[in-house]
Amino acid sequence: MNGTLLLGWRNIWRNRRRTLISMSAIGVGLFLVVFYSGIVGGLLGNAKNELDNAGMGHVEVFAKGYRPKRDVAATLAAFPERAALQLPADAELGTRVLARGLATSAHGSEAIQLNGVDFAAESLLSAHLRQVKQGALPVDGDGKGVLVGEELATRLNLKVGGKLRLMVQRADTEMGADLFRVRGVFHSIAPSIGQRQVYVSQAAARELLGLSAATHQAVIQLSDPVQADAVAARLKVTLGEGYEVLTWAELVPVLKRMEAFTDTVVFFLAMFVYLLVGLGVLNTMLMSVLERTREFGVLLALGTRPARIVRLVIAESFWIATLSVVVGAAAGALLTWHFSQSGFHITGGGESFQLEGATIGTLVKTRFNPWDVVRAASFVYVMALIVGIYPATRITRLQPAEALRRT
Amino acid sequence: MPTVEVQNVTRVYEEKGMPPAQALRGVSLSVEKGEFMALAGPSGSGKTTLLNIIGGIDAATSGEVRVDGQALSGLSRAALADLRRDRIGFVFQAYNLVPVLTAAENAEYVLQLKGVPAAERRARVKDVFERMGLGRFLDSRPLKMSGGQQQRVAVARAIVADPAVVLADEPTANLDQRTGAELMDLMHGLNRERGTTFIFSSHDPMVLSRAQRVVRLVDGELERAEVRGP
Repeated sequence: MNGTLLLGWRNIWRNRRRTLISMSAIGVGLFLVVFYSGIVGGLLGNAKNELDNAGMGHVEVFAKGYRPKRDVAATLAAFPERAALQLPADAELGTRVLARGLATSAHGSEAIQLNGVDFAAESLLSAHLRQVKQGALPVDGDGKGVLVGEELATRLNLKVGGKLRLMVQRADTEMGADLFRVRGVFHSIAPSIGQRQVYVSQAAARELLGLSAATHQAVIQLSDPVQADAVAARLKVTLGEGYEVLTWAELVPVLKRMEAFTDTVVFFLAMFVYLLVGLGVLNTMLMSVLERTREFGVLLALGTRPARIVRLVIAESFWIATLSVVVGAAAGALLTWHFSQSGFHITGGGESFQLEGATIGTLVKTRFNPWDVVRAASFVYVMALIVGIYPATRITRLQPAEALRRT
Repeated sequence: MPTVEVQNVTRVYEEKGMPPAQALRGVSLSVEKGEFMALAGPSGSGKTTLLNIIGGIDAATSGEVRVDGQALSGLSRAALADLRRDRIGFVFQAYNLVPVLTAAENAEYVLQLKGVPAAERRARVKDVFERMGLGRFLDSRPLKMSGGQQQRVAVARAIVADPAVVLADEPTANLDQRTGAELMDLMHGLNRERGTTFIFSSHDPMVLSRAQRVVRLVDGELERAEVRGP
């Protein structure tokens, strides 16, 4: 081993307790930054990536004029085929016929949101369609089958095979109603979805609404939400006037605000921790160096150049930083990785909470990004080395004889 | 050419709020190669200050010092460090070995600074240690050694790189009489065998009695030089 590094290594163990405390401060600080970033990244990532908890898209398209009043007459009449939309290859696309209405059973009535869907496509867009707890999804061509949530089934005392009457306002403003049979009951992590959302085939929904071949909403889910702006921009060009194209940030602005807020919180938390770590290392190195002033005087007297003294002190910072960064980063990375696989619940009780229209699952899987770990570790590492320079330069400013006089 | 030449050196210490303290007043001195010379004088007479200035670890307020023909004034800190590394050995009153290094590593340190390869360093240190009766302490840590043993290691560290002059500031002050006498005999032996110039300070008559020449300082001034036989 290089002589300076070897001497630095031995020097840091002169006061084992102080060194271990400093290392712990750095390691724990880095651990906290890595793990907290993972939690926040995971929380936001879940919210953005798992919009299918609420059946939302990263990009949604409506006919102009539909959204303000939910006007069922405003349809995506000439919505192009997927190939013309230039979507990323792994994007999921589905269309829905939408209507507000009333569901009535022998037990009572409830306000509902009717969704006319292609069940195969919709099950990729809405997580709850993959959570059918009783019965099954209605099959292709089933014009009288309906899928309801557990909460609605409970309120209306519905069983698989039971009858449910759906009533909506048609496109011609008349009332339309028909009798359906419950084919399946789904579970959603959001009780409001289980209570409100009702699914039938698109053909059945159109017939109920008196529409020909149109839909109201196109939903696009992306593997990477960051692509949303670019996809939306392309769609606006492709579709032209007559369509309203919205990204997740516009549909659920609270998520965007949360992202900016948590980015700021993480930034200041990281700066705060880094500052504490830096002061901790500085304090340790200052104490360690100043109490050895006489010894540095000896090394200078023996012919050590001042620059070598600086290198020696930095070597001590190097070892303290290396050991603590490796342990802190490894612990942070390991725990972040562990919870990225298994996740953990952030609140007691339910499986989700609603935040201004966004359904956020309470099972948070941390975001494990090795680059986050490397970035935080590098920052702490470089800072620990830099703060080591100051104590070293204090020593080298002294005449060797003056340093030798210090006790 | 003298190994050490001191010409009209003064040293004034100035501290804020304190009257200036004159440690050396126009001291001139010449030390020939191979001399075994003592600086005598009571505490505060300027012995340590003169040794520090000769060794380039303190700067004279005025006057000039030459070591092995090299003037010290005007040298940068790095150049002074190189000069100390190449031409000067130090022995301190309190031994001042680096506690985290073994005895051999302490002595090797100066050779390492000079860029001597590891194998040669080890061989040279082993040779010097064995000549000085320190062979079994090569891998001992300083704090496990007695004061006398530590000071012998300090002498080994001072001479291992073959400096032009060894400066020893009260080398026996922390040792008992017998150990001090043994150390002086050791240093004198090295002086005779290797021709290394030694300048040491002391006010101990036993130490001074071993010097070829005694230079006495009183209140920062050279009082008189006393020449003794070899």
